[in-house]
Parts: sequence; C-alpha cells; structure tokens
Amino acid sequence: MWRPIFAIIERELKRMLRQRGRLVSAMVRPLIWLLVIGTGFQSLMAGTGGGDYKVFLIPGLLCMVLLFGAMLASLSLVYDKESGVMRMLIIAPFPRYWIILARTTSAAIVAMVQALMLLLVLALLGYRTAPDSVGLFLLALVIPAFVCASLGMLIAVFSKTLENFAVIMNFVIFPMFFVSGALYPLQLLPPVLKTLALINPFSYGVDLMKHALAAGGSYAPDFTVAWDLAAMGTFILIAMTVAALRFSQSAWLEKLARVLSNPRRG
Amino acid sequence: MRENDQADPADAIEASGVSKCYGDVWALEPLDLVIRRGEFFGLLGHNGSGKTTTLHLFSTLVRPTAGRIRVVGYDVTREPVAVRRAIGLVFQESALDRTLTVEENLRLAGALYQLPSRVVSERINQLLSLFELGDRRGMAVAKLSGGMRRAVDIARGVLHQPEILFLDEPTIGLDVLNRRAIWRFLDGLRKDHGVTIVLSTHYLEEAASCDRAAFLKAGRVIGQGQPQRLIAALGAYILELETDSPSKHATLFHPQLGTPIVEGDRLLFRIKDGDFSIGDLDRKLRAEVKGWHLRHPDLNDVYVWLNRGGLLPTSGEDKNHVAPHLRDH
Repeated sequence: MWRPIFAIIERELKRMLRQRGRLVSAMVRPLIWLLVIGTGFQSLMAGTGGGDYKVFLIPGLLCMVLLFGAMLASLSLVYDKESGVMRMLIIAPFPRYWIILARTTSAAIVAMVQALMLLLVLALLGYRTAPDSVGLFLLALVIPAFVCASLGMLIAVFSKTLENFAVIMNFVIFPMFFVSGALYPLQLLPPVLKTLALINPFSYGVDLMKHALAAGGSYAPDFTVAWDLAAMGTFILIAMTVAALRFSQSAWLEKLARVLSNPRRG
Repeated sequence: MRENDQADPADAIEASGVSKCYGDVWALEPLDLVIRRGEFFGLLGHNGSGKTTTLHLFSTLVRPTAGRIRVVGYDVTREPVAVRRAIGLVFQESALDRTLTVEENLRLAGALYQLPSRVVSERINQLLSLFELGDRRGMAVAKLSGGMRRAVDIARGVLHQPEILFLDEPTIGLDVLNRRAIWRFLDGLRKDHGVTIVLSTHYLEEAASCDRAAFLKAGRVIGQGQPQRLIAALGAYILELETDSPSKHATLFHPQLGTPIVEGDRLLFRIKDGDFSIGDLDRKLRAEVKGWHLRHPDLNDVYVWLNRGGLLPTSGEDKNHVAPHLRDH
C-alpha cells in the first residue's frame, strides 16, 4: 500500500519545489503579517502594558502557513480533475479512497515543509521560536496540517470547478484564520465570534501550537492539549470519511471519468 | 478471486447484456461481446457512438447499469482492483503530469503498480529506446511534441505489462510518421507478448488490421466481424459517381447498378460481381455524370452501408464470426 502513496507524495513535493512563486508567496504572506501588522498592533498596545504581540503572533502565523499550504494543495485536486495525473490514478490498481488518503497526506506534508521553512526564516530574522518540547511541536504541525488538508479535500470533492476559488478563499480560509485565536486570545472575543471559534477546527490547531511554543503570559492557550487533540482528531476522521465516501461514489467517479475522457467535448 | 462458473480462460473480455444509462440517456444499449485473449479488437464509430463508454465499462471506470462484464475472469463490479491490475489504458487525452519529466512520469506510473524500481528502470530504458526517446528522459512532458507525448503515454500504459491494453483513439491528432511508429510498437506487443488490444478509433483504415471489429452507432452495435470478411461481404467494387443531380442519377443507374448510397453530390454503388467491367456503361456515364471512380471497398464503405441501415447479408458462415455471443458456452 505504501509505494503508491509515497509516489503520490513525492510528486506533490516535487511540484511544490518547482512552483517557486507559490513557495515564495507562502513565505512572504506570514512575514507581512508579522512585520507590518504585528509591528502596528504592538505599537498600538505598547500603552496598555501587554506582552510582546509579535511573539504571540508566531504560533498563529505558523498555523497560517499550514492552513494556506494545505488548503491550496488539497484544493488542487479540483484542477487535477482535468489533468493527466488523475487519469493515471483512477486506473491504478488500488481502491479509489487511497487517492484521497494520499492526496490529503501529501497536502499536509507540503504544508508542514512550508511551516518548517518559515520557522527557519523566522530564526534567521532573530525570532526565538525553538519549541520546549519537540514532540509536542511536531504534533502541533502534523495534526493541524491534516485538519486543513482534510477540510480542503472535503471542499475539493464537493466542488465542480474552482471558479468559486475566490469564494472559498474569502468565505472559508480567511474567516477560519480570523476566528481562530491566531491574532487575538479567544477569551477576549464576544460570544458570537467565540462560538464560531469553538466550531472552527483550526482554532484548536492554533491553540496546540501555542502550547508547543509555550507562548506564556497573558497569551496563554485557551484549551488543554488533550482537548485540542480530541477535537482535531474527530474532525479529521469525519472529514476524511466523508471525502473518501464521496470520491468512491460511482456516480461521482463516472462524471470524473467522462470529464477526463473528453474535456474538449464537454 | 477467479470465478469458476463459466469463465472461459481463453476469453479476455466477456460482456453479456451490458448496458449503460446516464440519467435517462442510454449511452450503451444491451451489448454482448466476447474478446479472445491475444485478439486485436476494434471498436469503431463516430464520436458519441458509445466507444468510450464501452472502454470505460471494461476498465472499471464506469459501472454497468445492467449486465455483467468479466475481464480476464474478474468481474468488473466485484473485483475492480484485480481488473485494473491486469489492464492498461491509454486515454484520448494525455495521462501524464506535464510538470514532471518523462522519466519521473514513468517512475510514478511504475510505483502506482507497485513494481520494484529496478524493474521499472529496465522497462523505462527498453520502452524509451523503442520509441527513440532515450535522450528525452529528463525533459519535462510539457516540452515534448504531441507525437512524443503520445508515445510516452503509451509507454506509461504498458509499463506494468498488462494482459489487455485499451486504446481510446490512440493516434488522434498525430502525423503519419508518429502514427506508423505507434502501430509498429503495438504490432510488436501483440506478436511478441500476446497482449490483447482493444482499440477505439474513427480512423477506420487503422482498424483494417484488427482481427475483429464492432461498429457502434448511438450506443448500439450495428455490425461486427472480421474486417476483411466484412469488406468482402460488401462487394467486389465500389463505383463512385460524382454528379450534380444525385436523385436523378440514382434512378437512372438503378436498373444496372442497384440502389446507391447518396453522400452529398456523390453516389456510391456496391458491385458484387468480381468480373464487373465499366464496358457498356462507359458511354452513359460520360454523357451523364461529372466523373466516376471504380475502386475496391474498404472499412469506411462498410461503415457507410451499416450506418445507412443497408445491412450486410448474414450467411450461416458469418454467424460464428459476426455474432460470437451466440456461441454456446
């Protein structure tokens, strides 16, 4: 079972490294937040005597890279519906849900590689981000990466085209980021937003990353590690099951097969 | 698991009562077909006639609405993975990743079939040298010409040495040289490795070398058999007349030549008599029509006649070959 899945992951990583523009923008996006918005907020809060806002921001920004990286990689499945590789995959001798497993895993790995690269960039810029517990830090990379990748996959198997890509960006990715505790502690949010944050699986990823990087003081995590893991584990399980079932549905596959056979005839 | 009930080990594909319905559109009406191991079988017809649907049914991409299909003894609905392991499929459109190199694509394909990487290397060398693409292995697929890309795609389809190779319009959009190179390769596969090849095409001349062919129209088989027999059954010659008034000339030549097929400003007459000579007609033709041409029939003519419902005679001898599904098990 592993060889095909490794091969699919390998392909995804090669593509990531070849698409330099995407990789650079994945690094630049969080840095803009850190250096521009972080600096601005920090001077705003300087009078209130709070802690270092930029330090608070770092777990959220690492998770931001996971969110964007994994979602974009998962959603590329929608492009792949019309691409050659999907043809290769659907006639390969394994059950169809392997494709979903492999694509989700590869999206998560792509996102984790990007987060590690950001960590390196941050270290070069002089931000101390060495985690206290490497084990917990790895968990805080892997689990949120899978949350984002499986959510992306869930959207990908249900959307026909990526014409609504901007819609997903505006109505899924950005709100998930904003209502997550990445930019501000959840306790400070009004009840409605707080409820949304509790539903948002990404919140638990940010929270776990805060645990891992031990961003203490007034910016302490909102939940326990166990609670974070349970919430995210449940989400991944449900999202993957639904995505795999949907993808293996014969009607869906038939549509896919027809698109792959006559993209020009429609 | 192999089905024991009545699977004939000599059959590569056995379809009985297979139909496919998309919504309320019948893409394929009940089809009975047996393709023998090692056979070179052609599915012929226009776009939308059901060729691709048939290939999809045989290759587990689409489930039949009714009927059953066994591919090398495995049921396509119950054992799709076993079927996919035994088959190779080359789509009309490329199944390669354009951003990866030729070699990376083939390695990916090998990994998907869980081939050991040493075996993959050997086969890649062999296949690329057969297609004279050895020096392109490090090139991104996006930079290859259409013919080269198709060759790599076929190499991808046969890398795992399938027992059956399905080709959906394999030479569409290619120039003559590339088409010939591909046909030489496929001939080799059949002769040296005994691979069963199922081809869909609307270039009927390519199907002339098939062992058997089935003509499809709007999801129905309108005729099948050995191409040479079908051509022979059509007649000894085709007389083609070029005319300004087709209906008038159809009537005029009816007594001597029978009922023609009208195609625009052309009239096509089947001539069954092998000793036919223009002789007496010469004067009349000169006087009446713009031009004429006497030639041997080919598969295109067979298709034209089948398509217009001017069905071929079915003698007893033909039954064994034309309708193999009637064969007793």
